[in-house]
Amino acid sequence: MKVGIPRALLYYRYGNFWNRFFSELGVEVILSPKTDKTILEKGLGKVSSEVCLPIKVICGHIEELKDKVDFVFLPRLVYLGDKLYACPKMIGIVDIVGLNFSALLRPKIKNDFFLPHFQVGLALTHNPMKSFLAYQRAKEELKFSKTIPDFPSDQPKIGLISHFYNLGDDFIAHDIIATFRKNGFLIYTKEDLPPTILENSKGFAGKIRWIYERELYNAFNYYLDKIDGICNIISFGCGPDSLVGEIMADKAKTLNRPFLQLIIDEHTGRAGLITRLEAFIELVKKRIVAN
Amino acid sequence: MKATFPNFGYETLALKTFLEKLGASVVLPPANTKHTLEMGVKYSSELICLPFKITLGNFIEALNRGADTLFMAAGAKKCRFGYYHYLHEMILRKLFPRFRLYAISQYTPYQFVFEKMPQIFMVSPTRVIYALLILLAKCALIDDFKCQLRLARVLDFNQANQIEKRAIKLIESANSISQIRRTRQEIRTIFSINGKKPEIKIGLVGEIFFMIEPFANQEIEKELSRLGALVVTKRSLFRHLKHLLKIDWEFYRFSLLAYKYLKDSPGGEAIRTVGEAVSFAMSGIDGIVHIYPFTCMPENIALEALEKASEDYDVPVLSMSFDEHTSRTGFLTRLEAFVDLIKRRKRERGR
Ligand code: SF4
Ligand code: SF4
Repeated sequence: MKVGIPRALLYYRYGNFWNRFFSELGVEVILSPKTDKTILEKGLGKVSSEVCLPIKVICGHIEELKDKVDFVFLPRLVYLGDKLYACPKMIGIVDIVGLNFSALLRPKIKNDFFLPHFQVGLALTHNPMKSFLAYQRAKEELKFSKTIPDFPSDQPKIGLISHFYNLGDDFIAHDIIATFRKNGFLIYTKEDLPPTILENSKGFAGKIRWIYERELYNAFNYYLDKIDGICNIISFGCGPDSLVGEIMADKAKTLNRPFLQLIIDEHTGRAGLITRLEAFIELVKKRIVAN
Repeated sequence: MKATFPNFGYETLALKTFLEKLGASVVLPPANTKHTLEMGVKYSSELICLPFKITLGNFIEALNRGADTLFMAAGAKKCRFGYYHYLHEMILRKLFPRFRLYAISQYTPYQFVFEKMPQIFMVSPTRVIYALLILLAKCALIDDFKCQLRLARVLDFNQANQIEKRAIKLIESANSISQIRRTRQEIRTIFSINGKKPEIKIGLVGEIFFMIEPFANQEIEKELSRLGALVVTKRSLFRHLKHLLKIDWEFYRFSLLAYKYLKDSPGGEAIRTVGEAVSFAMSGIDGIVHIYPFTCMPENIALEALEKASEDYDVPVLSMSFDEHTSRTGFLTRLEAFVDLIKRRKRERGR
């Protein structure tokens, strides 16, 4: 029995947990290869052209896996915590894939991880004990404990505010990250921050009821006065980012902090992107010198 | 208080009466025009969905007309709509020094009647309930009017436009339950006209703002009837209010019908869109047109479900998204081609 996991979207957060869970179950996992042009192209025809890049990407990964596995594992995250929702497209894409492909394992996560995963384990092994234990053992991978990062004063620092499935996917973010690195920047993302900061619900953050959007906003707020500039990477067609990104841009502007909003899609050219980044880097560096 | 709110198709008239019944004097934004859209586009992020841009344009124009209290509906926060008002306020604050913006949550009817409205207007909850009843009655009237209008438009397009103007005058002045009842009869009478029976029937589904505001959807209903198609829809403010009060029984049927395609609501109106489309398809409609704002999240999910339903029920579906760059000619061409296709299809099958 082979279960395929698309290397996209939630994989970049829960991948370790899932790998561990299936290996404890004794089920072989086939992970789709890293995103590349072929994969993206496979995804393009599968979903409306208006949706964001990550959704197109995951469709490509699913296509890639379809013939190679018995089941594709595509969990549906509906909400976490106190009804903090996933984005509509993340919720909906599971059904869209399911319309034309039935060998889908789609646990529904509504804050609780145990039951949906237990059921998947049961469906695959028919062994409740094994399934229970697999979850218990894998569970530790769900803890995302981080300590507050250092902010050395002698190095330029940039905050990359974007979803983990953008930053984690080299196909999407490699050039951006590499350009900042090449210019000597330390990179800070929301994944570097502990939950205590990301889950803050004071101020505008508390009004955001999209789980990852709240995290992004909190990270943005936290980094704003600690680092030299913020680069907000948004996928064209992303609903939540179009909104929260606007609020971040406004705040950065009011406080006079360097802020660059990069909008990416499958047509984004490498050259143009790097030019924009370098212009921004120049600006940030000048500001550092001036201060 | 000079109250205002964004234009919402014919239903604007009912909302206006509602606020007036609560004692506000209402300054409506001018009817939507290119200028409205330009204002909205100018001050919003390019990436945001069209209803935001149009409603922002409305607020700007209404504030210019002297409005000082803005009302904006707010949603469940699963989609962008629930956050519109934060952005509205943020943007408008820079342009206008003095105004108040009240975000009215749609999902807390109890608070709406007993806390929010009494606080804002300093009236008793009884008065709010009375105003609400008038609102419902007037929305029902408008719903009825729109059905008559749709039929009349295919029967005799020009005459229908004449009658429309008269009917709107009547609706405008209907401000009590008894008047509303009388107007309903009158409208039915003036709309009884003869003409050639419509050849085809098209079901219109999609995002609610687009379903209700003709400016947003490029007057698609008019255009379809001009092409000889009778338009049917299951969406109006009346139904939406019933839905919010949880007495829209048909919605439960739509949810069941949509379940085959969407097992969980992706927010917005996706479930309803799919459910309505399936119910149209089951009733043997000739074609379905699906309209929504460009990059609309729930409707882009619904779109895929509709494609599948189109195969399952063998009914043509045309999905169209709109933004400020949508070309009128392109839009009309697509619509014409679709109507032609359906007519041809029907004739071939009729033989
Ligand atoms: S949050 Fe944005 S990028 Fe992520 S899936 Fe939703 S629309 Fe796409
Ligand atoms: S339903 Fe569509 S149009 Fe409405 S807020 Fe959501 S994305 Fe925008």
